[in-house]
Amino acid sequence: MKHIRRLFRIHRIFVVQELKRMMEYKGDFIVGVIGFLMVQCSNLLFLWIIFNNIPNLLGWSLNEVVFIYGFSLIPKGIDHLFFDNLWAIGHFTVRKGDFDKYLTRPVNTLVHVLFEKLQIDALGELIMGIALVCVSLPQLQIEWSVFKVLLGIAAVFFATFIFTGIKIITASVAFWKKRSGNIIYMVYMFNDFAKYPVTIYNEVIKNLITYIIPFAFTAYFPALYLLTGENPLYNVGMTVLMSLALMSLGVFVWHRGIRAYESAGS
Amino acid sequence: MKRIFKIYTPFINAGMQETATYRVNWVFYILGSVLGCFVSYFIWHAVFLSGSGETMNGFSLPQMIVYIFLIFLTSTMIGSDAAWAVGEEVRDGSIAMRLIKPVSYNATFLFQELGNKLLTEMFLVVPLIAGLEIVRTVIVGRVEFSVVNLLIYLCSCVLAYLINFFFNICFGFLAFVIKYLWGANMMKNCIVGFLSGAIIPLSFLPETLGRIFMLLPFASLNYTPVMIYMGVYQGTELLYYIGLQVFWALFFFGLSKLLWVVSVRRLSVQGG
Amino acid sequence: MIQVENLRKEFKKTVKEPGLKGSFKSLFRPKTERVVAVDDISFEVPKGEILGFIGPNGAGKSTVIKMLTGILTPTSGRCTINGKNPTVSRKSYVKEIGVVFGQRTQLWWDLPLRETYGVLKEIYEVDDKSYKERMAFLNETLDLESFISSPVRTLSLGQRMRADIAASLLHSPKVLFLDEPTIGLDVVVKDNIRRAIEQINRQEQTTVILTTHDLADIELLADRIVMIDKGRNVFDGSVGELKTRYGQIRELNFVTDSPDPKAALDYLRHFSIGEEDVSVKCEGSAVKVRFNSSAVPVSDILAYTLETVHVNDISVKDADIEEIIRRLYKQGVE
Repeated sequence: MKHIRRLFRIHRIFVVQELKRMMEYKGDFIVGVIGFLMVQCSNLLFLWIIFNNIPNLLGWSLNEVVFIYGFSLIPKGIDHLFFDNLWAIGHFTVRKGDFDKYLTRPVNTLVHVLFEKLQIDALGELIMGIALVCVSLPQLQIEWSVFKVLLGIAAVFFATFIFTGIKIITASVAFWKKRSGNIIYMVYMFNDFAKYPVTIYNEVIKNLITYIIPFAFTAYFPALYLLTGENPLYNVGMTVLMSLALMSLGVFVWHRGIRAYESAGS
Repeated sequence: MKRIFKIYTPFINAGMQETATYRVNWVFYILGSVLGCFVSYFIWHAVFLSGSGETMNGFSLPQMIVYIFLIFLTSTMIGSDAAWAVGEEVRDGSIAMRLIKPVSYNATFLFQELGNKLLTEMFLVVPLIAGLEIVRTVIVGRVEFSVVNLLIYLCSCVLAYLINFFFNICFGFLAFVIKYLWGANMMKNCIVGFLSGAIIPLSFLPETLGRIFMLLPFASLNYTPVMIYMGVYQGTELLYYIGLQVFWALFFFGLSKLLWVVSVRRLSVQGG
Repeated sequence: MIQVENLRKEFKKTVKEPGLKGSFKSLFRPKTERVVAVDDISFEVPKGEILGFIGPNGAGKSTVIKMLTGILTPTSGRCTINGKNPTVSRKSYVKEIGVVFGQRTQLWWDLPLRETYGVLKEIYEVDDKSYKERMAFLNETLDLESFISSPVRTLSLGQRMRADIAASLLHSPKVLFLDEPTIGLDVVVKDNIRRAIEQINRQEQTTVILTTHDLADIELLADRIVMIDKGRNVFDGSVGELKTRYGQIRELNFVTDSPDPKAALDYLRHFSIGEEDVSVKCEGSAVKVRFNSSAVPVSDILAYTLETVHVNDISVKDADIEEIIRRLYKQGVE
């Protein structure tokens, strides 16, 4: 318990520092948030134009597609907001030997890396995701119950750690290969598939994003449960399971990686 | 021309070597980027299954597939980091060094980037076009590939690259005003992506809007080369759009020079 | 205090084949060879000692330091501080040490310096009272007051180094590792830093392990030297020992108007000594003679020189440790 309190304390300290840093560059961060917001807007415009040409997308209405799309942005945005420092690990922290710093401090290295930075730009995604869910919800006939709301929140929480887990695993590759930024990127980009109903894909892609790089559990499956109320054991249960599995694997690979870490220079 | 080429050969070489060193990384990057095409493919696939007709706003599904992948290919080929480079120079003040160096910085950067591209593009163009055409032939049942269109397409891409390069140089000068170019750059990419047809073919837009977009320089970046490859533009229409590309290339070249003159004045006022 | 036993570190080095094919091959089935960077190093450091840790580039110096600071995992052997082992419990180990890498900073770049200390206080779990006292002490020793409110990116190199040393000492570590603490600094600042290190060592009995290329740091600060080369320990002893063991090198400087002093002065033949004991360098009319005073007494060299050539100005200098070490590096020692 004391341990967990300390983690929260450290997290708060880092976040406060990041916020102070942001105050120094206020305008820049607003520009970043708007930038991410615009990227999402152009994707929405794309959806809207498409739906002007067709009545539904293989049985999915515009509102349902928007709901799934919006839902996908929430865990993605949370992970992006809090745990984006992992990209730096893959791109340059390990290669330049700057990872040394984490190893000389009496804090778990993974915790330190995860907590250290705050990527405010991610608010663009997060705000958009919440807005889309809020806009599409009234148009959808969903029966709500306390249980469903709780499961929905749990799904977002665990889905976030599917993103984080995948990023930890791929970032850890840098401990052996010096850099892995583009590997993180390649794997991370599979989340694009998860923003749309999985039924539009062929079997290969479907299985890939369900069982191998399980981004489908960050959006489609939990959103499906919220939309239909069907099969919570699979739709949400697997999200939890995948999340725990990826995080455990991530922590394991990370600590193996640290033993292989060679720093930089002679 | 020959002399110019001789001066800048080392920069082309440097660019090529740099790329060669990071090729494996680059492969991962391209693989990650090309995933977006597959997402688009499946969406369009579903759209065509859900729609009523064989074609939509002038596109059949095989044509749409060609469009998606060629837009990706084109935007990768014409991509330029010039905005970054100029932005960095403005930020750290090294732009003042341009005043005392005998070679043109823009040209140096242009040739280095071209060197980079020569290599990466060969690795990208050949397999992508080959793969795409094989798939298309299988789906359609006959060969629709045209060597002439491919060649004109490549020329059009060179023009598009020049437009993009000088546009980005101009954009980089914004760093005098905006400190955080990264966010602004993302906004720019997003707007340019939409206006250039990278998100959705311009023919899907409402007609007047589409026509206005066609006149803007951004359509010359992606949409025009891809339309040429697909054989949509023929005869005088083709000449018109190529002419438009040349016009925009010259326009942004001129604008970049103008901005340079303005910033020199600014630099000398600030005392470097 | 610190015990280093049979420390060894091997690196795997990937051998890259040329070309794209090679790059792919090395991606999926990398060809590796083993490189031994540190081979069987052992030493002990008692509490309160300042240890100079030296060696030529690529000798494995920083690999040893990185193992001692818990950054690298040793292939075999171990190091312990007060019985704590970094491979067993890294977190409690690093609480005992402070680390400064001269070419890197651990300060928060965009924020006022004060903020860094606030964060480190939490990371190292320093309570409010000790923090206050500690800051007062560090402030006095390292003179932080004038820039503690400025953003770190605006600090000069010397200020940044002082700030970094303070950051590494915030949690009152028992051992302080300083890697190139004076690199890139001017003479006055170097002097300040050295004085601060000395003061901290004296007042708090902090054990200091110092690596540097500036041998003046070693000469002025170190009680003892450990020198390694090619991953092995080649010397372990005091500065005085090093001097007596590796010869009393002196340097004779003079200006002459004789036409060819180098030919005229035949030290080798006159004293029947070898080339390792004397060397002559001429720059115009200025001549520099380096010799081993245990092979030829200073007075003999002086007398011979004065009677052989016409000398205008002459001085004898005690050779510094730098010269000895340069000779040691060259010989490869034992």
